[in-house]
Amino acid sequence: NVLVISAEADDENSGMEWCFSQVKGAIDDEVAEADIISTVEFNSTGDLLATGDKGGRIVIFQQEPESKNQPQCRGEYNVYSTFQSHEPEFDYLKSLEIEEKINKIRWLPQKNAAHYLLSTNDKTIKLWKISERDKRPEGYNLKEEDGRYKDFTTIASLQVPVFKPMDLMVEASPRRVFANAHTYHINSISVNSDNETYLSADDLRINLWHQEITDQSFNIVDIKPANMEDLTEVITAAEFHPNQCQTLLYSSSKGIIRLCDLRAAALCDQHVKLFEEPEDPNSRSFFSEIISSIADVKFSHSGRYMMTRDYLSVKIWDVNMETRPIETYQVNEYLRSKLCSLYENDCIFDKFECCWSGDDSVVMTGSYNNFFRMFDRGCRHDVTLEASREHCKPQSVLKPRRVTTGGKRKKDEISVDSLDFNRKILHTAWHPLDNIIAVATTNNLFIFQDKLNQQLTN
Amino acid sequence: MECAFDAQNLISISLRKIQSSRTQRGGIKLHKNLLVTYVLRNARQFYMNKNLSHIQRTQQYEDVAAVRERQEYLEITGSFKELTDDFYCNFTGVESDSWHCGAHQPNDQPAEVAHQDASACAMVSPVSDSDLMVPEACWSCVEKSAWELPVPNTTNQKTVLDLDTHVVTTVTNGYFHSDCCAQPKQPQGAHYYTKKRKMDTNYYIIDPEFYLPDFGPVPFKRMRADEDSNGDSDQLDSSNISNLISVLGSGGLSEFMSWQHTDLEQIFATQTICLKQTLLTGSGWTRAIEAF
Repeated sequence: NVLVISAEADDENSGMEWCFSQVKGAIDDEVAEADIISTVEFNSTGDLLATGDKGGRIVIFQQEPESKNQPQCRGEYNVYSTFQSHEPEFDYLKSLEIEEKINKIRWLPQKNAAHYLLSTNDKTIKLWKISERDKRPEGYNLKEEDGRYKDFTTIASLQVPVFKPMDLMVEASPRRVFANAHTYHINSISVNSDNETYLSADDLRINLWHQEITDQSFNIVDIKPANMEDLTEVITAAEFHPNQCQTLLYSSSKGIIRLCDLRAAALCDQHVKLFEEPEDPNSRSFFSEIISSIADVKFSHSGRYMMTRDYLSVKIWDVNMETRPIETYQVNEYLRSKLCSLYENDCIFDKFECCWSGDDSVVMTGSYNNFFRMFDRGCRHDVTLEASREHCKPQSVLKPRRVTTGGKRKKDEISVDSLDFNRKILHTAWHPLDNIIAVATTNNLFIFQDKLNQQLTN
Repeated sequence: MECAFDAQNLISISLRKIQSSRTQRGGIKLHKNLLVTYVLRNARQFYMNKNLSHIQRTQQYEDVAAVRERQEYLEITGSFKELTDDFYCNFTGVESDSWHCGAHQPNDQPAEVAHQDASACAMVSPVSDSDLMVPEACWSCVEKSAWELPVPNTTNQKTVLDLDTHVVTTVTNGYFHSDCCAQPKQPQGAHYYTKKRKMDTNYYIIDPEFYLPDFGPVPFKRMRADEDSNGDSDQLDSSNISNLISVLGSGGLSEFMSWQHTDLEQIFATQTICLKQTLLTGSGWTRAIEAF
């Protein structure tokens, strides 16, 4: 698979140009809480795109096959399956409700015609099988077509039922439920490259599961202190290495990434590597701990690098160098002077995800005002784009946006004070093999694609 | 001073956040509350430094009472006072070396002021003080001996039984990469695990995981069903099991600070006491999960 990335520099903006492709979701201004998108994930081939929401639902979109008649070479994403993954539950002892919100979806590598994914809320992980049915048996001897049993006395002959084509039906069925293994809120699941196991991580522990076995789990990381008042750090994200089945990493609220090797010990509390950048004492503030907390961590597809997202920046780390990141990109440094307000309105606790392009050359993350940012690691170019229904003409090129902190505001610039902090992009995903991105605003899913690719094929 | 006001404002906001987190849907978010405590600590530290340096500059000699009076003036009023009591008496946190809110501040060591009441508690370093312990009606250290959990020698597992769905899940501490289904051995993590199970009853940390002691060595086997596990167990009185106490609840701040002043705490403590009696008498279980 070849990714075409532009090497030509435009006058206005070097790098890729992004075009609007589709938007999914309600148009209403009033957002129902259940419809708030909480996770977005492409499968390994990119032809399926899954979203989870706060209401516990999963919607899967499938890319239509490429049509040679259409100007755009890529197919559209249309709804493939919708199902209720998790329901609210109740913890009787604490009189607390367990939210049905889908925290993460992870696809399993495809082994047969059916598709499998893992979905998790705060407490329970489920393995779902999504399969197609396009035939049904007809001509039963004992039953009518509607299912009622025939009067046996009327049966005079014997026939063999046959499969006849029917309208395509996509069924989602829960195949496994992995429950009761997490005391704290699950924040991550990650499928191992061994195609047999996966991990689930909560605030203080990481468990290892076999995909087939639901009644047993192995705790491999436990950072819970003997006395809870000694708690200084929680796990914020965890992930398996993309091709080393014994390697995993997890990030913490202290801005530290730990790499663990399952072969080293039964309990991986002792890390193999620890990645931490020393704090700049000059930038210390009331909120230093909050903004250094890592919201998301992702291995690159190659496994050579890791990316972390904290509140103001994205950092790229080399797995072989623990002392500092090799690249740091400021996402929204203009917020540093607004931290007090952002603390008051809880925005400072927002967890922004980040993602790699298929060839690891570009990284992307979301921000406020429905802005999202892309950083081209090769040409060191970054761009701010907006996901908005106002700019959703098909194939329209997205115009770069700029945020200004100064008094003078140019045209097409927006001042920091005008940013809408209720409109935020927390979840983004990049097609593993193509320049197609899925960007989730509060309750809408935007799909954008790289324009240049189209021009070359035309 | 603007910064001092901001610090006090931050303390109020932070305590309000902790308060509201108790009632939010989905349970307390441990991560968020940990971050809030860092802000609290930073603001408190700044405020104390500011206050002490101000006092030292203006008056060379000062009664301890006068100092306290000034500090009490700055105390958080209203319902936050309770939260302060809850919070600071149990939070140790990590002291930072230096910080600033726009300008560099000297790093004065906060003076240790003995506190006799909760109001001053907000302004001093948290000290484990038995005078501030929760009354015995709650999580009692009187019955500490009853809570010396029999620490298992060979087991490093926790088995959870859900009576609703009859699902049994076993969480094993540690994972042997090569022979996960081998005979039980003493893994490296076992001692660490054992050490963690000792409960420190000086602080009212309610750990939802350790309501029930382990009933001795557990064979390394899978539990298939409620009926099977009951048949295997001699420790559990199956006839008295109407429901079991959940030990896998969201930990959150209930593990993080004592809840001495809330209704939830009352319910919690009552249930805990019932549980203790249950363990001793083997009867009257509520909806529990952890079996053995």
